[in-house]
Amino acid sequence: MEWSVGETSERYTAKLTDTEGALALTGLTSDGVEQAHSEISVARDNQPGRLLVEVNGQAQFAHVAKVGDSWWIHLNGRIHVVNGHETGSADSDAGEGGLTAPMPGTILEVQVKEGQRVREGQTLLVMEAMKMEHRIQAPRAGEVLAVNFATGDRVDMGDTLVELGE
Amino acid sequence: MFEKILIANRGEISARVARTAQKMGIATVAVYSDVDRDSLHVACADEAVHIGAASPAQSYLNSARIIQAAIDSGAQAIHPGYGFLSENPEFVEAVEAAGLTFIGPSAASIRAMGLKDAAKALMQQAGVPVVPGYHGADQSDGYLAEQAQQIGYPVLIKAVAGGGGKGMRLVESAEEFTNALQSARAEAKTAFGNDAVLIEKYITCPRHIEVQVFGDGRDVIHLFERDCSLQRRHQKVIEEAPSPAVTPAIRSAMGEAAVQAAKAVDYEGAGTVEFLLSERGEFFFLEMNTRLQVEHPVTEMITGVDLVQKQFEVAAGMPLGLTQSDIGITGHAMEARIYAENPSKGFLPAIGDLAMWREPAGPGIRVDTGVREGDSVTVEFDPMLAKLIVHAPTRTAAARRLDNALANLRALGVTTNIGFLRQMAQHPDFTSGGITTDYLDSRNIADFAEPETNPATLVAIAAAASRLGLDRVGAGGSSQSTTDEHTGHAGDPFRTLSRSFP
Repeated sequence: MEWSVGETSERYTAKLTDTEGALALTGLTSDGVEQAHSEISVARDNQPGRLLVEVNGQAQFAHVAKVGDSWWIHLNGRIHVVNGHETGSADSDAGEGGLTAPMPGTILEVQVKEGQRVREGQTLLVMEAMKMEHRIQAPRAGEVLAVNFATGDRVDMGDTLVELGE
Repeated sequence: MFEKILIANRGEISARVARTAQKMGIATVAVYSDVDRDSLHVACADEAVHIGAASPAQSYLNSARIIQAAIDSGAQAIHPGYGFLSENPEFVEAVEAAGLTFIGPSAASIRAMGLKDAAKALMQQAGVPVVPGYHGADQSDGYLAEQAQQIGYPVLIKAVAGGGGKGMRLVESAEEFTNALQSARAEAKTAFGNDAVLIEKYITCPRHIEVQVFGDGRDVIHLFERDCSLQRRHQKVIEEAPSPAVTPAIRSAMGEAAVQAAKAVDYEGAGTVEFLLSERGEFFFLEMNTRLQVEHPVTEMITGVDLVQKQFEVAAGMPLGLTQSDIGITGHAMEARIYAENPSKGFLPAIGDLAMWREPAGPGIRVDTGVREGDSVTVEFDPMLAKLIVHAPTRTAAARRLDNALANLRALGVTTNIGFLRQMAQHPDFTSGGITTDYLDSRNIADFAEPETNPATLVAIAAAASRLGLDRVGAGGSSQSTTDEHTGHAGDPFRTLSRSFP
C-alpha cells in the first residue's frame, strides 16, 4: 500500500514492526527513496477509533476514521487526511480538478470564450452551489478548447465545465 | 404556557429550540423533509411530521403544510427558528388565522423592518442615527447621481429590497457611478423583482455591531451588543460579546438607540438591531432582524438569559420579568461557526459522511449542533454543521478556550473550517480585537494555513490503523461518550444546554 498526505503528491510506503504490542515504524520511503524518520510507534487504545501514538518518546492520542480509501486522522488538535493507493497505481487526475464541477449547482457566469488564452489561477466561470458562489479557476496556463455550459445551466458533480489545452 | 409547540425549522436551531422547550416541560413537534427523516433535529423532538420533498419550497417554506402539521399534532404555537419562514409576515398572518400563536414579532413589525428604505426613514423619525444617504422615490439616473455627489464619495448603491450583498455596488468616484447604477439595478431586478435602489455613504473599515433587544408588548430592553465584524463575503465567521471596540459610553448610547428602534415598530419578542460602528466611534442603524439570530448564544452566555425561554414566555402573554437594570455582562463569549467547507479551495462547500463527530466538553463550552456521528453532509442545505460557543472570564481567556475547544472537536470524514478557525482564534489581529468587516476579504487566505505535521507520523498512523483493523465495521463509531452535564458555572441557566443529543 502507498500513501499520500492531503493534497500533496508524494507517495509514501511505511514498514511497521510489531514490538511489545505496538507497531513501530521501521522503514519509510517517499517516491521510492528511503527517508530518515523520527522514532514512531502506534498502539491500539481501549476507546474505539483511538490510537496511542509515540513520537520520540512523547505520547499522544490520534483519533482515526476510514472513509473510502482515506484515513482521516485527528492528531494534536489538527485534522489530516492520508489517502491509500494500490502500490504502483497512477496518479489520480491531480491538476485537472479545477475544470470539473466540484458539486451540483448552477452556472452563474462564464468569463472565458473558446480559443482564449488563460493564465494560471484565472477565473473561468462562476457557479452557485449550496447557496454560495464558487469560482472555477484555471489550474495552469493554456488555451480554452471548449466551454461546455452556459449561464443558467444546471451541472452535476464531476461534469467537465471547460476543456483546457496547452 | 403552551403545552405543545411545533418547530418550523431544521438543523441546529431546531434542536436548540427543542432543548429549551423540554427544559420548560413543553412538548415539541419537529417537521422534516424527505432527506431529513433521520436527522438529529427529528430525534430531538417528542414527535415529528413529514412535510414534503427535499426542496425547501416544498417543505420548510411550505407554510400551508407546516400549519396543517401544527393543527394535526395539537401544537398551540409555532417557533420559526431563523431563516425559512421566520421573517415572512404572510406566514405570521396565516398562523394566526389558523388560531395558533406565532412565536415572534407581529406581521406589522416584520413588514415595517422588511423594506430597508422605509425602515431607515422610520428610524430617522425615531431619532436613531442612520448612515447618511438617499432613500427616496425619485429613481432617475440624474437625480441619484446628484444625491451621491451630495452625500460624498465613496458611496454604496444598494437594492431597496436587497440582502446578502445582491444588488450592491461600491462606487469610489462620480465617473463610475452610472455603470455601477446600471449593474446594481439589473442584479436587483433579477434577484428581487424590484430594481429600486438607495444610496448610502460608505463607511470605511467599519465594525458590524448588533444589539439584542427584547420586547413584551409593554416595554423593550436590550441585552448588549455582539461584535460580528469577522466576516467573509458577508458570512459571519466568529462572533463575540461584548465587543472589544465598544466603550461603556457607546454601549449605552447604542443600547438606547436599539430600544428606540424596537419601540418604533411596537416590537415584541427577540430581535436584533444592526449597526455599523465607524473608526471614530460613530454608529449608524443598518437594519433590524426580526427573529432569533444564529449568534444569539454569545448573548445568552454573557447575560445568563435563555432567549428562547423568553420567546416562549412572551409569546404566551407573560411579561418579560426583566428590567434593563437586571441585565449585566459576565465575562466574554465567542462563537465559531463550524462549516463543511474547504478553506484551501476557496471555501468550497464540502460533502461526505461524518465518520467521527466528537464534541469538546468542559467548563464554559457549549456546542449547538445539527449533526451527529454517522450523518451525511449533502448539498441540500446551508453547510453550517454546528456552532461552538465558549464563555470565559476575559476576552483573552475566551479566545484561548475557543482555540482549545476547536482543537478537541473531532470531525472526521468531511472537510471543515475547524483548522482555519483555530488559526483565526490564535491570530494577533484577532486576539488584539482589531478586526473590521473588510478584514478577511482583503487578506490572502493562504496566510491562515495550518502548520505542517510531519508526514512520517501521519503515514505511520494510517498504516497502523489499517494493520490493526480499525476500518472494520464496529471498530469505529458508536462510542460518543456522554458529555459532562455542567458548564462549570454555579447556577448557570445553561446547564442542560451542554447536554449532547440524542
